[in-house]
Amino acid sequence: MSAKLEKDWREEGEPFFPNHMLDQGMVVFVTLAILVTLVMFFPAPMEPPADPFETPEHIKPEWYFLSAYQALKVAEYFSFLGAWAPKALGILMQAVGILALILLPFLDKNPERHPRKRPVVIGIGILALILLAALTIWGKLS
Amino acid sequence: MVEQEQKETKPQTQPSFEQRSGLRELFELFSLTGFVYGPLDERLDIRDALEKNLKKPVPHHVNWLFCFGGISLFLFVVQGVTGIMLLMYYRPTVAEAYKSVVFITNNVPFGWLVRGLHHWAANLMIIMVFLHMARVFFYGAYKPPRDFNWVTGVILLTLTLGFGFTGYLLPWSQISYWATTVGTEVPAAVPFIGGFLSTLIRGGQAVGQSTLTRFFAVHVVILPLVISFFLLGHFFMIRKQGISGPL
Repeated sequence: MSAKLEKDWREEGEPFFPNHMLDQGMVVFVTLAILVTLVMFFPAPMEPPADPFETPEHIKPEWYFLSAYQALKVAEYFSFLGAWAPKALGILMQAVGILALILLPFLDKNPERHPRKRPVVIGIGILALILLAALTIWGKLS
Repeated sequence: MVEQEQKETKPQTQPSFEQRSGLRELFELFSLTGFVYGPLDERLDIRDALEKNLKKPVPHHVNWLFCFGGISLFLFVVQGVTGIMLLMYYRPTVAEAYKSVVFITNNVPFGWLVRGLHHWAANLMIIMVFLHMARVFFYGAYKPPRDFNWVTGVILLTLTLGFGFTGYLLPWSQISYWATTVGTEVPAAVPFIGGFLSTLIRGGQAVGQSTLTRFFAVHVVILPLVISFFLLGHFFMIRKQGISGPL
Protein backbone atom coordinates (compact mmCIF):
# COMPACT_ATOMS: atom_id res chain seq x y z
CA MET A 1 0.00 0.00 0.00
CA SER A 2 2.60 2.52 1.07
CA ALA A 3 4.91 1.52 -1.77
CA LYS A 4 2.10 2.12 -4.22
CA LEU A 5 1.34 5.48 -2.64
CA GLU A 6 4.97 6.55 -2.91
CA LYS A 7 5.05 5.58 -6.55
CA ASP A 8 1.89 7.63 -7.12
CA TRP A 9 3.58 10.62 -5.53
CA ARG A 10 6.50 10.52 -7.87
CA GLU A 11 4.17 10.33 -10.83
CA GLU A 12 1.58 12.85 -9.67
CA GLY A 13 3.76 15.37 -7.90
CA GLU A 14 5.58 16.09 -4.68
CA PRO A 15 3.87 15.37 -1.36
CA PHE A 16 2.02 18.26 0.22
CA PHE A 17 3.57 17.42 3.57
CA PRO A 18 6.36 18.14 4.22
CA ASN A 19 7.79 19.27 0.86
CA HIS A 20 5.14 21.70 -0.31
CA MET A 21 4.34 22.89 3.21
CA LEU A 22 8.00 23.88 3.65
CA ASP A 23 7.84 25.97 0.46
CA GLN A 24 4.66 27.60 1.68
CA GLY A 25 6.20 28.29 5.07
CA MET A 26 9.12 30.06 3.40
CA VAL A 27 6.75 32.17 1.29
CA VAL A 28 4.80 33.12 4.44
CA PHE A 29 7.96 34.19 6.29
CA VAL A 30 9.27 36.17 3.32
CA THR A 31 5.88 37.95 3.07
CA LEU A 32 5.97 38.71 6.79
CA ALA A 33 9.55 40.02 6.47
CA ILE A 34 8.54 42.31 3.59
CA LEU A 35 5.54 43.53 5.60
CA VAL A 36 7.55 44.34 8.72
CA THR A 37 10.26 46.05 6.63
CA LEU A 38 7.63 48.22 4.96
CA VAL A 39 6.10 49.12 8.33
CA MET A 40 9.51 50.07 9.76
CA PHE A 41 10.65 52.27 6.89
CA PHE A 42 7.29 53.57 5.63
CA PRO A 43 4.98 53.85 8.66
CA ALA A 44 1.22 54.13 8.12
CA PRO A 45 0.56 57.81 7.29
CA MET A 46 -1.01 60.05 9.93
CA GLU A 47 -3.02 62.69 8.06
CA PRO A 48 -4.57 65.76 9.73
CA PRO A 49 -7.96 65.13 11.36
CA ALA A 50 -11.18 65.42 9.32
CA ASP A 51 -12.58 68.93 8.92
CA PRO A 52 -15.97 68.98 7.13
CA PHE A 53 -15.70 72.77 6.70
CA GLU A 54 -12.41 72.80 4.84
CA THR A 55 -12.27 71.04 1.48
CA PRO A 56 -8.71 70.10 0.50
CA GLU A 57 -7.54 71.12 -2.97
CA HIS A 58 -6.80 67.68 -4.33
CA ILE A 59 -9.02 64.82 -3.24
CA LYS A 60 -7.87 61.49 -4.55
CA PRO A 61 -8.87 57.97 -3.57
CA GLU A 62 -6.51 55.15 -2.63
CA TRP A 63 -4.32 53.93 -5.48
CA TYR A 64 -6.52 50.91 -6.18
CA PHE A 65 -9.52 53.15 -6.83
CA LEU A 66 -7.55 55.64 -8.97
CA SER A 67 -8.43 53.89 -12.24
CA ALA A 68 -12.16 53.98 -11.42
CA TYR A 69 -11.82 57.62 -10.35
CA GLN A 70 -10.00 58.58 -13.54
CA ALA A 71 -12.53 56.66 -15.65
CA LEU A 72 -15.30 58.79 -14.13
CA LYS A 73 -13.30 61.91 -15.00
CA VAL A 74 -12.77 60.69 -18.57
CA ALA A 75 -16.53 60.13 -18.84
CA GLU A 76 -16.96 63.89 -18.49
CA TYR A 77 -16.12 64.15 -22.19
CA PHE A 78 -19.65 62.80 -22.75
CA SER A 79 -21.16 65.94 -21.21
CA PHE A 80 -22.34 67.02 -24.70
CA LEU A 81 -25.08 64.39 -24.34
CA GLY A 82 -26.55 66.26 -21.39
CA ALA A 83 -25.85 66.91 -17.74
CA TRP A 84 -26.87 63.37 -16.73
CA ALA A 85 -24.51 61.64 -19.16
CA PRO A 86 -20.98 61.77 -17.70
CA LYS A 87 -21.55 60.16 -14.32
CA ALA A 88 -24.25 57.72 -15.43
CA LEU A 89 -22.11 56.56 -18.38
CA GLY A 90 -19.02 56.34 -16.19
CA ILE A 91 -20.82 54.11 -13.71
CA LEU A 92 -22.37 52.05 -16.50
CA MET A 93 -18.91 51.49 -18.00
CA GLN A 94 -17.56 50.17 -14.70
CA ALA A 95 -20.63 48.02 -14.04
CA VAL A 96 -20.23 46.47 -17.50
CA GLY A 97 -16.54 45.89 -16.79
CA ILE A 98 -17.23 44.02 -13.55
CA LEU A 99 -20.08 42.07 -15.14
CA ALA A 100 -17.80 41.04 -18.01
CA LEU A 101 -15.19 39.92 -15.47
CA ILE A 102 -17.74 37.79 -13.62
CA LEU A 103 -19.12 36.29 -16.82
CA LEU A 104 -15.69 35.71 -18.42
CA PRO A 105 -15.81 31.87 -18.17
CA PHE A 106 -19.24 31.85 -19.80
CA LEU A 107 -18.37 34.35 -22.54
CA ASP A 108 -15.05 32.69 -23.42
CA LYS A 109 -16.13 29.32 -24.85
CA ASN A 110 -12.72 28.43 -26.29
CA PRO A 111 -11.66 25.17 -24.58
CA GLU A 112 -7.93 25.81 -25.26
CA ARG A 113 -5.87 26.81 -22.24
CA HIS A 114 -2.47 27.74 -23.64
CA PRO A 115 -2.20 31.54 -24.07
CA ARG A 116 -0.85 31.17 -27.62
CA LYS A 117 -3.94 29.24 -28.66
CA ARG A 118 -6.43 31.91 -27.53
CA PRO A 119 -5.05 35.17 -28.92
CA VAL A 120 -8.35 37.11 -28.81
CA VAL A 121 -9.09 36.71 -25.11
CA ILE A 122 -5.44 37.18 -24.12
CA GLY A 123 -5.28 40.27 -26.33
CA ILE A 124 -8.38 41.76 -24.70
CA GLY A 125 -6.96 40.91 -21.26
CA ILE A 126 -3.62 42.61 -21.96
CA LEU A 127 -5.45 45.66 -23.39
CA ALA A 128 -7.62 45.81 -20.25
CA LEU A 129 -4.50 45.61 -18.05
CA ILE A 130 -2.79 48.40 -20.03
CA LEU A 131 -5.97 50.53 -19.79
CA LEU A 132 -6.14 49.92 -16.04
CA ALA A 133 -2.47 50.83 -15.57
CA ALA A 134 -2.77 53.91 -17.82
CA LEU A 135 -5.85 55.19 -15.99
CA THR A 136 -4.14 54.62 -12.62
CA ILE A 137 -0.99 56.54 -13.68
CA TRP A 138 -3.10 59.26 -15.30
CA GLY A 139 -5.19 59.54 -12.14
CA LYS A 140 -2.03 59.76 -10.05
CA LEU A 141 -0.46 62.49 -12.19
CA SER A 142 -3.57 64.57 -12.87
CA MET B 1 -30.05 -10.51 23.20
CA VAL B 2 -27.14 -8.33 22.26
CA GLU B 3 -26.70 -7.19 25.84
CA GLN B 4 -26.54 -10.78 27.03
CA GLU B 5 -23.76 -11.63 24.60
CA GLN B 6 -21.78 -8.62 25.70
CA LYS B 7 -22.18 -9.65 29.34
CA GLU B 8 -20.89 -13.10 28.58
CA THR B 9 -17.81 -11.88 26.72
CA LYS B 10 -16.82 -9.34 29.39
CA PRO B 11 -13.50 -10.22 31.02
CA GLN B 12 -13.82 -11.63 34.51
CA THR B 13 -10.67 -10.02 35.86
CA GLN B 14 -10.92 -6.75 37.75
CA PRO B 15 -10.25 -3.77 35.52
CA SER B 16 -7.41 -1.54 36.65
CA PHE B 17 -8.06 1.80 38.27
CA GLU B 18 -7.21 3.66 35.12
CA GLN B 19 -9.62 1.59 33.04
CA ARG B 20 -12.39 1.86 35.61
CA SER B 21 -12.26 5.59 36.02
CA GLY B 22 -11.66 6.38 32.39
CA LEU B 23 -8.94 8.78 33.52
CA ARG B 24 -6.69 7.73 30.71
CA GLU B 25 -9.48 8.22 28.19
CA LEU B 26 -10.30 11.60 29.68
CA PHE B 27 -6.65 12.60 29.53
CA GLU B 28 -6.36 11.48 25.94
CA LEU B 29 -9.53 13.35 25.07
CA PHE B 30 -7.94 16.62 26.10
CA SER B 31 -4.48 15.91 24.72
CA LEU B 32 -3.25 16.00 21.18
CA THR B 33 -3.21 12.19 21.09
CA GLY B 34 -6.97 12.22 21.62
CA PHE B 35 -7.29 13.65 18.15
CA VAL B 36 -4.78 11.44 16.39
CA TYR B 37 -4.86 8.10 18.29
CA GLY B 38 -7.32 8.37 21.18
CA PRO B 39 -11.07 8.35 21.68
CA LEU B 40 -11.73 11.38 19.51
CA ASP B 41 -10.00 9.72 16.58
CA GLU B 42 -12.01 6.52 17.08
CA ARG B 43 -15.19 8.52 16.77
CA LEU B 44 -14.20 11.04 14.09
CA ASP B 45 -11.48 9.34 11.98
CA ILE B 46 -9.34 12.46 12.26
CA ARG B 47 -6.10 10.58 11.53
CA ASP B 48 -7.45 9.25 8.25
CA ALA B 49 -8.63 12.69 7.22
CA LEU B 50 -5.28 14.25 8.17
CA GLU B 51 -3.28 11.60 6.33
CA LYS B 52 -5.43 11.90 3.24
CA ASN B 53 -5.00 15.66 3.15
CA LEU B 54 -1.33 15.77 4.05
CA LYS B 55 -0.41 13.09 1.52
CA LYS B 56 -2.32 14.72 -1.33
CA PRO B 57 0.34 15.21 -4.02
CA VAL B 58 1.03 18.69 -5.39
CA PRO B 59 1.41 18.45 -9.20
CA HIS B 60 4.88 18.98 -10.68
CA HIS B 61 3.80 21.88 -12.91
CA VAL B 62 2.97 24.03 -9.88
CA ASN B 63 5.52 26.86 -9.89
CA TRP B 64 5.99 30.10 -7.95
CA LEU B 65 3.26 31.83 -9.97
CA PHE B 66 0.75 29.68 -8.09
CA CYS B 67 1.59 31.25 -4.73
CA PHE B 68 -0.38 34.52 -4.98
CA GLY B 69 -3.68 33.02 -3.82
CA GLY B 70 -2.02 31.53 -0.76
CA ILE B 71 -0.28 34.84 0.02
CA SER B 72 -3.65 36.59 -0.28
CA LEU B 73 -5.08 34.19 2.30
CA PHE B 74 -2.10 34.73 4.59
CA LEU B 75 -2.51 38.51 4.32
CA PHE B 76 -6.23 38.09 5.05
CA VAL B 77 -5.30 36.26 8.26
CA VAL B 78 -2.85 39.07 9.11
CA GLN B 79 -5.69 41.55 8.56
CA GLY B 80 -7.97 39.53 10.83
CA VAL B 81 -5.44 39.33 13.66
CA THR B 82 -4.20 42.94 13.48
CA GLY B 83 -7.78 44.16 12.91
CA ILE B 84 -8.98 42.51 16.12
CA MET B 85 -6.01 44.03 17.96
CA LEU B 86 -6.88 47.50 16.64
CA LEU B 87 -10.49 46.96 17.72
CA MET B 88 -9.32 46.82 21.34
CA TYR B 89 -8.41 50.53 21.22
CA TYR B 90 -10.27 52.05 18.27
CA ARG B 91 -13.39 54.14 19.06
CA PRO B 92 -15.80 54.61 16.13
CA THR B 93 -17.13 58.09 16.90
CA VAL B 94 -16.57 61.37 15.09
CA ALA B 95 -15.13 62.92 18.25
CA GLU B 96 -12.85 60.02 19.25
CA ALA B 97 -11.91 58.04 16.15
CA TYR B 98 -8.94 60.17 15.12
CA LYS B 99 -7.70 60.53 18.71
CA SER B 100 -7.90 56.79 19.26
CA VAL B 101 -5.86 56.14 16.10
CA VAL B 102 -3.22 58.64 17.30
CA PHE B 103 -3.27 56.92 20.68
CA ILE B 104 -2.80 53.50 19.05
CA THR B 105 0.13 54.84 17.01
CA ASN B 106 1.93 56.75 19.78
CA ASN B 107 0.96 55.24 23.13
CA VAL B 108 -0.18 51.64 22.82
CA PRO B 109 2.82 49.23 23.04
CA PHE B 110 3.61 48.11 19.48
CA GLY B 111 0.47 49.91 18.34
CA TRP B 112 2.47 51.52 15.52
CA LEU B 113 3.50 48.04 14.38
CA VAL B 114 -0.03 46.60 14.46
CA ARG B 115 -1.51 49.62 12.68
CA GLY B 116 1.32 49.63 10.14
CA LEU B 117 0.85 45.92 9.47
CA HIS B 118 -2.88 46.46 8.94
CA HIS B 119 -2.13 49.35 6.56
CA TRP B 120 0.51 47.55 4.50
CA ALA B 121 -1.13 44.12 4.48
CA ALA B 122 -4.25 45.80 3.06
CA ASN B 123 -2.28 47.30 0.18
CA LEU B 124 -0.27 44.12 -0.44
CA MET B 125 -3.43 42.02 -0.30
CA ILE B 126 -4.99 43.98 -3.15
CA ILE B 127 -1.83 43.55 -5.23
CA MET B 128 -1.74 39.81 -4.47
CA VAL B 129 -5.44 39.31 -5.27
CA PHE B 130 -4.84 41.07 -8.60
CA LEU B 131 -1.78 38.95 -9.38
CA HIS B 132 -3.69 35.80 -8.43
CA MET B 133 -6.47 36.77 -10.82
CA ALA B 134 -3.98 37.57 -13.59
CA ARG B 135 -2.31 34.16 -13.15
CA VAL B 136 -5.66 32.35 -13.34
CA PHE B 137 -6.57 34.41 -16.40
CA PHE B 138 -3.38 33.79 -18.36
CA TYR B 139 -3.30 30.08 -17.44
CA GLY B 140 -6.91 29.71 -18.61
CA ALA B 141 -7.66 28.17 -15.22
CA TYR B 142 -11.09 29.82 -15.10
CA LYS B 143 -12.50 27.45 -17.72
CA PRO B 144 -14.97 24.69 -16.86
CA PRO B 145 -15.13 22.92 -14.47
CA ARG B 146 -13.58 25.82 -12.51
CA ASP B 147 -15.86 28.50 -13.98
CA PHE B 148 -17.92 28.93 -10.83
CA ASN B 149 -14.77 29.24 -8.77
CA TRP B 150 -13.77 32.19 -10.97
CA VAL B 151 -17.14 33.79 -10.13
CA THR B 152 -16.51 33.42 -6.38
CA GLY B 153 -13.03 34.82 -7.02
CA VAL B 154 -14.40 38.00 -8.64
CA ILE B 155 -16.83 38.35 -5.72
CA LEU B 156 -13.87 38.01 -3.34
CA LEU B 157 -12.04 40.75 -5.27
CA THR B 158 -14.99 43.14 -4.92
CA LEU B 159 -15.31 42.27 -1.22
CA THR B 160 -11.58 43.00 -0.77
CA LEU B 161 -12.08 46.38 -2.45
CA GLY B 162 -15.08 46.90 -0.14
CA PHE B 163 -12.81 46.32 2.85
CA GLY B 164 -10.44 48.94 1.45
CA PHE B 165 -13.20 51.48 0.84
CA THR B 166 -14.86 51.12 4.28
CA GLY B 167 -11.58 50.86 6.19
CA TYR B 168 -10.23 54.04 4.62
CA LEU B 169 -12.84 56.18 6.42
CA LEU B 170 -12.27 54.77 9.90
CA PRO B 171 -9.25 56.93 10.96
CA TRP B 172 -11.53 59.96 10.32
CA SER B 173 -8.66 61.97 8.90
CA GLN B 174 -9.01 64.80 6.40
CA ILE B 175 -8.10 62.57 3.45
CA SER B 176 -10.35 59.70 4.53
CA TYR B 177 -13.30 62.04 5.15
CA TRP B 178 -13.06 63.77 1.78
CA ALA B 179 -12.20 60.64 -0.22
CA THR B 180 -15.32 59.04 1.24
CA THR B 181 -17.38 62.14 0.48
CA VAL B 182 -16.33 61.94 -3.17
CA GLY B 183 -16.63 58.13 -3.27
CA THR B 184 -20.14 58.03 -1.85
CA GLU B 185 -21.24 60.70 -4.34
CA VAL B 186 -20.60 58.31 -7.21
CA PRO B 187 -23.64 56.04 -6.67
CA ALA B 188 -25.86 59.17 -6.66
CA ALA B 189 -25.51 59.25 -10.45
CA VAL B 190 -27.20 55.85 -10.90
CA PRO B 191 -30.51 56.53 -12.68
CA PHE B 192 -33.69 56.53 -10.55
CA ILE B 193 -32.31 54.95 -7.36
CA GLY B 194 -29.07 56.95 -7.17
CA GLY B 195 -30.21 59.38 -4.47
CA PHE B 196 -31.53 56.54 -2.36
CA LEU B 197 -28.29 54.55 -2.76
CA SER B 198 -26.12 57.47 -1.73
CA THR B 199 -28.27 58.18 1.33
CA LEU B 200 -28.29 54.50 2.24
CA ILE B 201 -24.50 54.29 2.13
CA ARG B 202 -23.99 57.56 4.03
CA GLY B 203 -26.83 57.08 6.49
CA GLY B 204 -27.84 60.69 5.79
CA GLN B 205 -27.32 63.60 3.45
CA ALA B 206 -23.63 64.12 4.23
CA VAL B 207 -20.76 61.99 5.53
CA GLY B 208 -21.06 62.08 9.33
CA GLN B 209 -21.42 59.96 12.43
CA SER B 210 -23.98 57.62 10.76
CA THR B 211 -21.55 57.04 7.89
CA LEU B 212 -18.74 56.24 10.30
CA THR B 213 -20.95 53.84 12.29
CA ARG B 214 -22.14 52.17 9.11
CA PHE B 215 -18.70 51.80 7.59
CA PHE B 216 -17.37 50.49 10.90
CA ALA B 217 -20.13 47.85 11.13
CA VAL B 218 -19.60 46.84 7.51
CA HIS B 219 -15.80 46.74 7.88
CA VAL B 220 -15.59 44.70 11.10
CA VAL B 221 -18.72 42.52 11.08
CA ILE B 222 -20.59 42.26 7.80
CA LEU B 223 -17.71 42.02 5.33
CA PRO B 224 -15.69 39.52 7.43
CA LEU B 225 -18.73 37.25 7.69
CA VAL B 226 -19.56 37.48 3.99
CA ILE B 227 -15.95 37.07 2.84
CA SER B 228 -15.46 34.01 5.10
CA PHE B 229 -18.45 32.38 3.45
CA PHE B 230 -17.10 32.99 -0.05
CA LEU B 231 -13.55 32.04 0.98
CA LEU B 232 -14.80 28.66 2.22
CA GLY B 233 -16.64 28.13 -1.07
CA HIS B 234 -13.52 29.17 -3.02
CA PHE B 235 -11.32 26.67 -1.12
CA PHE B 236 -13.78 23.78 -1.10
CA MET B 237 -14.20 24.09 -4.85
CA ILE B 238 -10.46 24.14 -5.61
CA ARG B 239 -9.94 21.25 -3.18
CA LYS B 240 -12.65 19.20 -4.86
CA GLN B 241 -11.62 20.03 -8.44
CA GLY B 242 -7.88 20.17 -7.88
CA ILE B 243 -5.35 22.65 -9.26
CA SER B 244 -5.72 23.17 -13.01
CA GLY B 245 -3.54 20.88 -15.10
CA PRO B 246 -0.36 21.81 -17.00
CA LEU B 247 -0.72 24.03 -20.06
